Amino acid sequence: MINAQNIEKTVATSEGSLCILKGIDLEIKQGETLAIVGSSGSGKSTLLGLLAGLDVPGKGSITLAGRDITSLTEDERATVRADLVGFVFQSFQLLPSLTALENVMLPAELKGVAGARGLAEKYLQRVGLDHRFNHYPKQLSGGEQQRVALARAFASQPHILFADEPTGNLDTATGTQVIDLLFELNREEGATLVLVTHEQRLADRCQRSIQLEGGEIVADKRNKPSVVVSASGQN
Amino acid sequence: MFALRLLWRDWRGGELGILASSIVLAVAIVTGISLFADRLQQGIVAQSSSFLAADRVLQSPAPVDNLWLQQAEREGLQQAEILSFQSMVYAGEEVDATMQLTSVKAVSNHYPLRGQLEVSDEAFGSSIKTTASPPRGEVWLDPRLLPLMNLEIGDALYVGEAKLLISKVVVNEPDRGGNGFVLGARVLMNIADIPATDIVQPGSLVEYRYLFAGEADALSRYGEWVKGQMQPSHKWLNLKDTQPGISQSLQRAEQFLLLAGALGVGLAGIAIALAARRYSERHYDYVAIMKSLGATSARVMRIYIGNLLLLATIALLVGCAFGWLIQEMFILILQDYFDVTSTPEITLRPFIIGSVTALVCLLAFALPPLLSLQGTSPLRVLRRDLPNSGLGNVLTYGIGVSGIGLLMFWYSGNLTLTMAVLAGVGLTFVIVGVFAWYLLRGTARVGMQAGSSWRLALASMRRRGFQNAVQSVIFSLAIMLLLLLALIRSSLIEEWQVQLPEGTPNHFLVNVAKHEVTSLRTLLATNQLETEPIYPMVRGRLTRVNDETVAKRASRTDPTAQNSLDRELSLSWSKTLPNDNIIVEGEWWSEGSTAAEVSMEKNLAQRLQINTGDKMEFLIGSERLVVTVTSIRELDWDTMKPNFYMLFPPGLLNQYPATYMTSFYLPSGQKHFLNQFLREFPTITVIEMDSVIKQIRSIITQVSSAVELVLGLIIVSGLLVLIASVQASLDSRYQESAVLRTLGAKRELVLGSLVIEFSSLGLLAGFLAAFSAELSVYGLQEYLLRMDYVFHPWVWLVGPLFGAILIGIAGYVTCRKVVNTPPVEVLREI
Ligand SMILES: Nc1ncnc2c1ncn2[C@@H]1O[C@H](COP(=O)(O)OP(=O)(O)OP(=O)(O)O)[C@@H](O)[C@H]1O
Ligand SMILES: [Mg+2]
Repeated sequence: MINAQNIEKTVATSEGSLCILKGIDLEIKQGETLAIVGSSGSGKSTLLGLLAGLDVPGKGSITLAGRDITSLTEDERATVRADLVGFVFQSFQLLPSLTALENVMLPAELKGVAGARGLAEKYLQRVGLDHRFNHYPKQLSGGEQQRVALARAFASQPHILFADEPTGNLDTATGTQVIDLLFELNREEGATLVLVTHEQRLADRCQRSIQLEGGEIVADKRNKPSVVVSASGQN
Repeated sequence: MFALRLLWRDWRGGELGILASSIVLAVAIVTGISLFADRLQQGIVAQSSSFLAADRVLQSPAPVDNLWLQQAEREGLQQAEILSFQSMVYAGEEVDATMQLTSVKAVSNHYPLRGQLEVSDEAFGSSIKTTASPPRGEVWLDPRLLPLMNLEIGDALYVGEAKLLISKVVVNEPDRGGNGFVLGARVLMNIADIPATDIVQPGSLVEYRYLFAGEADALSRYGEWVKGQMQPSHKWLNLKDTQPGISQSLQRAEQFLLLAGALGVGLAGIAIALAARRYSERHYDYVAIMKSLGATSARVMRIYIGNLLLLATIALLVGCAFGWLIQEMFILILQDYFDVTSTPEITLRPFIIGSVTALVCLLAFALPPLLSLQGTSPLRVLRRDLPNSGLGNVLTYGIGVSGIGLLMFWYSGNLTLTMAVLAGVGLTFVIVGVFAWYLLRGTARVGMQAGSSWRLALASMRRRGFQNAVQSVIFSLAIMLLLLLALIRSSLIEEWQVQLPEGTPNHFLVNVAKHEVTSLRTLLATNQLETEPIYPMVRGRLTRVNDETVAKRASRTDPTAQNSLDRELSLSWSKTLPNDNIIVEGEWWSEGSTAAEVSMEKNLAQRLQINTGDKMEFLIGSERLVVTVTSIRELDWDTMKPNFYMLFPPGLLNQYPATYMTSFYLPSGQKHFLNQFLREFPTITVIEMDSVIKQIRSIITQVSSAVELVLGLIIVSGLLVLIASVQASLDSRYQESAVLRTLGAKRELVLGSLVIEFSSLGLLAGFLAAFSAELSVYGLQEYLLRMDYVFHPWVWLVGPLFGAILIGIAGYVTCRKVVNTPPVEVLREI
């Protein structure tokens, strides 16, 4: 599904150029769930951005569902994203001027797909927010906002879901709820999941986890087929 | 469709408020001012046309060829005719019947074409306005004539052989001052009765006036045609010829309105730019999110431009409606002075101007920041601090300034004005920007010793050094434009009032014999009337200048003047230089001079290209007098005081027959004094200018109020800019204040520091604004309005004070929300 070969990322800073990622090789299979762990500043978010086609590497190539996104323009990559990719972010990234429902409708509306509303309502119900359709993000709690973000991500019916520390802004209990929901939905939709986290607990729930340090993959391990326990019981 | 939905969602979320209201305001101001200026112009033209009782007048000493009138007919012009002459009128047929020398005016039925007559059914009763004129067989009289001739309404009056019924008194005529002077009391009759009077014979001293009114195009076409047919004895008159003072005042008022409108547009433009900038700053994140969700740049642009166009269309409609309201409000306030009885011609022009303004404002101010949105990297969803690779600031400002410039030029059609304002604005930008930045950086050191609110404020000012510098520039720009307008307004109004102050002489006395001078002086003094000096007057003709005939010289130096320079002049003498005269060349004679010299008026000297040292020959009676020009005087003909082209030293003209003249001020309640006066001095001619002066005053009052109103409107847009500018920095302040309060700072401390910060910015901005306003006023008055520049100390006080208070309040009002929102809520929103 995703194939990254020898990717490097260098940025120019006021103190000279800084190499964030150094020769990363990574292959992610369809339906696989992958966790990227590592200490702060190790380059996790940068790698995620590259894999999702939000940015291009300085060197190396990345193919996404068979298409070499490193040779595409930003607009072409946008089309690829629209077709294949969904996102969940640490800071939710909902549009404050749109209601929960409108936020979830946005990807479908951007694609110009008919029936955006029905789809959005379905996913909002799925994340348990059927009574909050017309609330604005600031009227929702952090956990609720992240659930709206989840609904938005899945409403675009992505082949690959990218999540950057989706629980980073949430307390443990709420975080666990959101993660349970994320894995559930992912299983139902059968999407490939790439998840950045610094929580070992979370990484353990993925089939595979890689560890980044100083822009290099220092470990790549396959977890035992994880026991996915319904979270609601646990907390 | 999707754009519409997004627009609606943005609107609902309160994102568009300031942007929309700025566009609405820009359109409203421009449409409102243009509508009003149009209407004012129509009103003023109508009113000033009433000085002629027509739009144009053809003046002739004899009846003109019927063909000329047919041509006017073909152009679709309205016409009327006036015949005027001096004549004795009689109260009865008997030999001993009282008689009086009057000024008879016989008019055709359509007189007056413009303006109204003021008539009454009683001698000194209340009057009404009418456009009717005396019907056949009737005559309307100056109220003064009734007691003077022992007559009453309903009696008969004999004009020559015709016996006419006195049916009304005529208190005022629109064109009373149209041709300078009215000698003697007025008798108004129908022109159809003239043959019956048997007075007017070929060769009698009468004046024919043919009045025309109609569309501007037709008038000027006909004017051109008539000028081709005219003899030197004919005159084609418009307002400018008859009342140059008014015409000039009106022209300046119009320029002021245009300038105000242009500044209004500029201010609204700044508000739009600020609002659009804030809007796009807030939308960088939105765009990043949309892009991460798969929107292409083109898609994003389509959405935002669609949004903008939709917003513009809506704002445009609302703005036009507001513009209309503004205009209606103007008219409402002005209706006491303003003749609103005539329904104005509403043209589309103001609305088109408004729409184009909106479009240019959007293109110049709102589009650049929005365009920079498309460059937003979707990576921003992961890294918020990512800089935006939009248009450079310089380019953005450049586009904005060119937009304003173009708009101003298009709007005012005046390059000098546009350049002056733009230069002022540019100068403010540079000077204020540099100055503010240095000053704000310097506040750090002062801050260390200050109290807590102050320390917080100064620290905040320094931290936002650049942002604050930009903000002070905008503040001072707004204040400067307001000051500029206020300055020009006061000098305009002052100048108008100085021109015709209360107590301006409103009656001229001519034909005073030498032996009457002393008793005249006594009579005026015992009645406590303010009187100008009594000047002697000798009629004489300027014949030669340095061995060249005047006619020949004039055709060389001022070909357009035809033979208007070759006529009789009033020559006078004076020991001292008259009060309002200024010597611009040479020197006034020393006391007791008996040399053959003369002091000449500047305009005439220029038209004949005469300098001091030139020799001039006058023909007085049958004698020739040769004198040398020793000084040239500048004087104001609009002051209604006796003024002379030629002044000689006393003694030089002694041997020639002289009459005397003067002017004095007669309060309107003492008009009956004229009867007593004429009984005592039956041979003196009284020229009554009071109604003309009243009319000029009323126009000036109107225009002044219009000017004040426009200023008020511009102040509103200035305030909007201030608010938009304060709002622009609101987002970061929200966050900061929340953090400060979370750290334990009290509300009062945070609010206090905000008020101090804004007031200090306002003070600084006001001071800098005073500086650049003074400079721009100098430029405008010197080069555009051609008025004398004076230094305005009050500006330096009002500017900073106004700035500090206004911006302090604006800051307080907008930021109170910041402080009153619980910190949790603020922090949650970010
Ligand atoms: N555009 C950029 N300009 C400058 N430095 C950058 C840029 N992008 C990334 N970096 C730097 O590269 C390093 C890796 O950044 P990245 O955001 O990928 O780390 P991370 O592993 O996601 O950290 P965290 O766990 O704190 O989110 C950081 O030190 C960051 O400051
Ligand atoms: Mg990160």
